Amino acid sequence: MRSLRTEAQGHIKQLRALATALWMKRSASKLWLGIREWCGDSAYERYVQAQRTNPEKSCLLTPAEFYVERVNRRYSRPNRCC
Amino acid sequence: MKRPISVIIWIVVALVGAGALGGIAFHRGEPLNATWFVVAAGCCYLVAYRSYSAFIAARLLTLDDSRATPSERHDDGRDFVPTNKWILFGHHFAAIAGPGPLVGPTLAAQFGYLPGTLWLIAGAVFAGCVQDFIILFCSIRRDGKTLGEIAREEVSQRGGFIAQLAVLAIMVILLGVVALVIVNALKSSPWATFTLAATIPIALLLGLYLRFLRPGRVLEASFIGVALVLFVVVAGQWVADSPSWARVFTLSGVTLAFALIAYGFAASALPVWLLLAPRDYLSAFIKAGAIFSLAAGILLVRPQVLMPPLTRFIDGSGPVFAGKIFPFCFITIACGAISGFHSLISSGTTPKMILRESHARFIGYGAMLMESFVGVMAMIAACAMTPGVYFAINSPASIVGATSDAAAATISSWGYPLQAQTMTELARSVGEQTLLNRAGGAPSLAVGMAQIFSSTIGGPRLLSIWYHFAIMFEALFILTVLDAGTRVGRFMVQELGGRVWKPFARTGWWPGILISSALIVGAWGYFLYQGVVDPLGGINSLWPLFGISNQLLAAVALVVATTILLKMNRLRWIWLTLIPMAWLVIITMTASYQKIFDPNPRLGFLSYARALAAQIAAGKIPAAKIADTQRVIFNQRLDAAVTAVLAAMIIVLIVEALMQWYRILSSDPKSVLHETAYVATRWTEDFSGASYAGAHAEPEASAMEG
Repeated sequence: MRSLRTEAQGHIKQLRALATALWMKRSASKLWLGIREWCGDSAYERYVQAQRTNPEKSCLLTPAEFYVERVNRRYSRPNRCC
Repeated sequence: MKRPISVIIWIVVALVGAGALGGIAFHRGEPLNATWFVVAAGCCYLVAYRSYSAFIAARLLTLDDSRATPSERHDDGRDFVPTNKWILFGHHFAAIAGPGPLVGPTLAAQFGYLPGTLWLIAGAVFAGCVQDFIILFCSIRRDGKTLGEIAREEVSQRGGFIAQLAVLAIMVILLGVVALVIVNALKSSPWATFTLAATIPIALLLGLYLRFLRPGRVLEASFIGVALVLFVVVAGQWVADSPSWARVFTLSGVTLAFALIAYGFAASALPVWLLLAPRDYLSAFIKAGAIFSLAAGILLVRPQVLMPPLTRFIDGSGPVFAGKIFPFCFITIACGAISGFHSLISSGTTPKMILRESHARFIGYGAMLMESFVGVMAMIAACAMTPGVYFAINSPASIVGATSDAAAATISSWGYPLQAQTMTELARSVGEQTLLNRAGGAPSLAVGMAQIFSSTIGGPRLLSIWYHFAIMFEALFILTVLDAGTRVGRFMVQELGGRVWKPFARTGWWPGILISSALIVGAWGYFLYQGVVDPLGGINSLWPLFGISNQLLAAVALVVATTILLKMNRLRWIWLTLIPMAWLVIITMTASYQKIFDPNPRLGFLSYARALAAQIAAGKIPAAKIADTQRVIFNQRLDAAVTAVLAAMIIVLIVEALMQWYRILSSDPKSVLHETAYVATRWTEDFSGASYAGAHAEPEASAMEG
């Protein structure tokens, strides 16, 4: 009986460790996605996705074209403050 | 049970905040620990966010999450992009946090730590955050329209035009004054000049990498860039130690001013992907890192605040800038408490990316609270050095003298003991020839930051590296404001020119690009040059001018907000925007009047011009300097005229707004609200836009029925 309990406790410990590891992995992945989105790394993927769901499709830009177009638009209006 | 516990917790937070604030306000004698400032500010912000912003969201604006935002209705993956609220908070904060909240509080420390700290906290809670939040809300309800467009629709055509002119005016003055801050930090400093100059080829390298090698891979390019920038900070020491290289990078104020003007022109005219964008990426990462490091450093070191709560200079005789505590403390602090420029960001990119209306509270109100906290940290860093050292760094040579002995004697006579040796040793320990007469706030803030950082990592050995890291951090993101602002200014000039001659408005037409770039660079370059050659140090004239224009733009934004609230039938709560607006009008008008007409030559532009003219007439100016003096006289009269035009603009706008308010209150059918029509959201309540894939897949998969 005692050995069964010890074994169960061992499994619970393992499960907890697994859950913690999964939680940490998910949090790290969320953080990574957040940083990519904040700095603009994922902007092209977003654009492609939006183009796919948009019924009025226009010609898809290449990553280089999209990057140039994006920074041109971004820096043509106030985007840095005093 | 949950609610009483929450109420008790909030009462405790409020009491702790009130206690810390009381401690700061009434403490006399021994130096105060910086922890008091952090606790007071933190608790006040928490209580204000929990109660005041919630009240504005619920009762004044009635934010509605069932309403589709512009990012949902126009989602194009370019301008309109549904964005997670934490990420958008980061975007918004990176956009609003500039040099203002660092430099303003540092300069205002000449009145002592108390007035500036109180205004940073109260001004942000009751004015700055309210402005940012309400303008963001107004823009969300109008498809992301700009402040100028909203003013044109809701106030009047003339009101919109004045708002656009105010934006251009603030842009020119802002660029001139921030450039002056860089010049004062870099002049005669080969280490700092080399470091900043080296960031230009690094930015060009990143630009080519992001355009041709790995298009759009901002993160990896920024890592490479940050590593290179940190390397050149260290390499600057080798340059400063080499006599031949040190000579190349030891530049006078005037040479640096022309170098910055040339840089501004190049950044405006060159393709944006080559220089401007990569520099901005670099600056954003270093800015975020430095601000968080400063916060961590203050919490770890908990420095003593050595500046008294109030100095003798509240009477207006301050050496850093002239003018009494009212109105100049408020004008000088500017961005850390309320900034008109933020209304351009709140009605720019952010409303096009916001996911839900309720996020406007966190992003609009919350990001400004964080900016105010940056201001409080700058105040702590400036006040953590001895007052004598602070005044020696920030006062012009015409007041304290150009040598350590003269400065020590003058400043000690004011009641702030300072030994000449202290300044010599401090300059040597940070790797500079001298730290005297470096008005502008950047060097004194860098000394304060370096002292805090070196107490955490490296000790006195690394003081010089930390000092130059802090200077590089400040100069780098001031340069970003300079080149991004010049480019936006160029577009404004092209738009205005296009009304006269259409081809001029074409943004791809090279003659138009070159002429408009030259015009905008020439305008701010003129202010910069006059600041560099000003015998009173430049900052004395230009920073108040910048503060007035900035606060004027904030008054414009609050006039627009008040008009919209009246149209929304919120007469009962109109004081929420009306009181901050009235306060801003009072301080800008008083400051404008004093800057133009005050009989004290250090304060009044016209009296200074008259005093110089009298000196020429009396033969007191040597013949060789008469032409220079006449130029200074012209500059003073020009500054007076610019101030008068700014004041006249706000008077005209208020008259326009009063007429509109009368029409609204008398139920004139022409006074209608120009909100976009209600469209129900298709997103579920738990949709957070956490990832780009989810942002588009989720609405379709979980579209709300009906």
